[in-house]
Amino acid sequence: MATKIQEPISIPMTVSVPYRFAAGSYLTKCLIGLRDHGTLFAVECPKCKRVQLPPRIVCATCHVRNERWVELGLEGTLVAFTIMYLPLTDPTTGKPHNPPFVYGTVRLDGATSVLDHFINVEPDLEKIRVGMRCRMILRPQAERIGDLSDILYFDPIPG
Amino acid sequence: MSDRVAIVGVAQTRFAPKRPDVNYGEMAYETISQVLRQTNLALPDDIDNAISCSHDIWDGQTISNISITDVIGGHLRTEEKMALDGSTAVYYGAVGILSGEYSCTLLMAHTKMSQTNRNIVNNVAFDPIYSRMLGFDYTSAAALQARRYMYKYGITRAQIAEVVVKNLSNARFNPSAHQSGEISIADVLSSPVVAAPIHRLDIAPDTDGAVAVILASEERAKSITDKPVWLLGMGTSYDAHYLGDRDLADCRALQQAAERAYRMAGIRNPRRSADLAEVGDEFSYQELLWMEGLGLCDKGDAGRLVESGATAIGGKLPVNPSGGLLSGVPINVAGLNRVAEAVLQLRGEAGERQVKGAKIAIAQGHSGFCGQHQCVLVLGN
Repeated sequence: MATKIQEPISIPMTVSVPYRFAAGSYLTKCLIGLRDHGTLFAVECPKCKRVQLPPRIVCATCHVRNERWVELGLEGTLVAFTIMYLPLTDPTTGKPHNPPFVYGTVRLDGATSVLDHFINVEPDLEKIRVGMRCRMILRPQAERIGDLSDILYFDPIPG
Repeated sequence: MSDRVAIVGVAQTRFAPKRPDVNYGEMAYETISQVLRQTNLALPDDIDNAISCSHDIWDGQTISNISITDVIGGHLRTEEKMALDGSTAVYYGAVGILSGEYSCTLLMAHTKMSQTNRNIVNNVAFDPIYSRMLGFDYTSAAALQARRYMYKYGITRAQIAEVVVKNLSNARFNPSAHQSGEISIADVLSSPVVAAPIHRLDIAPDTDGAVAVILASEERAKSITDKPVWLLGMGTSYDAHYLGDRDLADCRALQQAAERAYRMAGIRNPRRSADLAEVGDEFSYQELLWMEGLGLCDKGDAGRLVESGATAIGGKLPVNPSGGLLSGVPINVAGLNRVAEAVLQLRGEAGERQVKGAKIAIAQGHSGFCGQHQCVLVLGN
C-alpha cells in the first residue's frame, strides 16, 4: 500500500505578554532630569571613579553603592556605529524604524560609559567616522515623556 | 572538600503587592546588602559563587540574570541562574559547595509579579499545540487538581478554607507578609469564585519581592556564624508535563523528592522528626496535598489535621508558621522564602511566629503548574 505523505501541521501563534517595567530610583531621577530640565546625570563610583550611564545602584567592579551624581555634557564622541538595513521594531510603539538608518555609540563628555542611540546622518560611510563629535538632540520640552525617546538622536557637529 | 553545607545568612524584602519605586536590581540589592552586613562578608572577596533565581518570562528579559550581575557580585566572575523555584537554587548551590569548587555561595531570588499578567505568563507554560489555546493558566489547572484531590480523598471545601484561615492568622506575626488577618471559613468561601472550587482568598496574591541566602562549606560556616543551619538532606524530582499523565490527587514527584531528602538526612519517620514544615501553598489546597506528598500524614488525612489544629503554630507539626505564600510571596521566590523562614525558626529568630524548640525543619518548593517539579530540603540546627 502506498504511504500517503502527511502534510506537517504547525500552528501560528503570537505570544504577546504585556509588561510595565519600573525604571527604578536611579533611572527615574535621570529620566526626570532629561524630561523636565534637558539635563543628563550619571553616577560616579566613590571608589574607582567610573562615571556610569545609565545610573545604577551598584558599581559592578567595586561592588559599592553609587551615591554621587555627575551632570554630563550633551556633546560627545562617536565610538562605534552601524548602518542598519533591517526595519527593527520599537517595542514601545510596535512601529519599525525606517532603514537605512544609523545606530551610534557615543561617549558623552565626562562619562566613562557610552550611550547608544540614532545618529542623524546620511547612511553613507563617507559621512560617518569613529571619533566624530556629536550633539544630543532632545524632543521639544512640551513633548517629552520621560523615557529614552526624549532623546531624538545625535547630530554630527561639523568640523 | 566539605561534606556539610550550612546556611549562614538570610535576608528578605518586605513583600508588597507592587514595588513601583525599584527595578529588579535595586530590589535584589535590598536583600543582598542586608545579608552581607548580617554575615560580615563582602563582595567580591568573600563570596566565590553566585546563583540568582527568576524566570525570563516574568522578568520580560532573555536570560534575565544578565542585567543583575552587578548587584549580585557576578561581574567578571561566576554567576548562574536557576530558572526553577528558589528552593532548587539551594540544591544547586549546595552541589557546587559539595563538589569542592566553591566555599561560599550567594543565592538570590526575585520576581515582580506586578509588572505583567500572571494568567498570560502562566499560559505560556502550557504545550503550544495541545493545551495552550484553551487559555489554561496555573489557576485553572489548580482548580482541576483541587477537584480531583477533593473527590479522591474526600477533602472538604471547609478543610481547604481552614488553611487560609490558619496561614493569614500566622502572617499577622510575620513582618514580611502583606496579607494577614483573623478571618473565618465563611470569609474565604464568600470571596469571589475564580475557578471553582477555588476562591480569591485560596490564591497566593500577586507580590513583588526578593530573598537572599548565603550558603557556606562547614569550614567557612564556622568562621561566619555561631548559628549555622545545616542542610541535612535534599531531593528533587519532575513529574509529567501533561496533566493527563498524572493523577493530580497524588504527587509522585514530591514523594520521590522527599524520600531522597529524608534518606540523605537519615530521617526514617518525618512525622516524628520534623518540628515544622514550610511548604508552597500557592493555592490553599496545595498545603494539604504537599503535606501528604511529604509523608507528614497519610493520604487524605491532611484535611483532618488542619481542622484539628495540629498544623497551627502551637500544634504538633506546625505548617507554614510564616503564613506561607497565601500571605504574599512572589512565585519563584517562594521556595527560597520557605528556606529563609525555616532558617529563622531554627535560629530561634522567628519572633511571635516562633515554633518552640525547633530543631528540624522541612522546606518544600515547586515549579510548573500543579507542582510538576518538586524540591525538598531538610534543615537542622
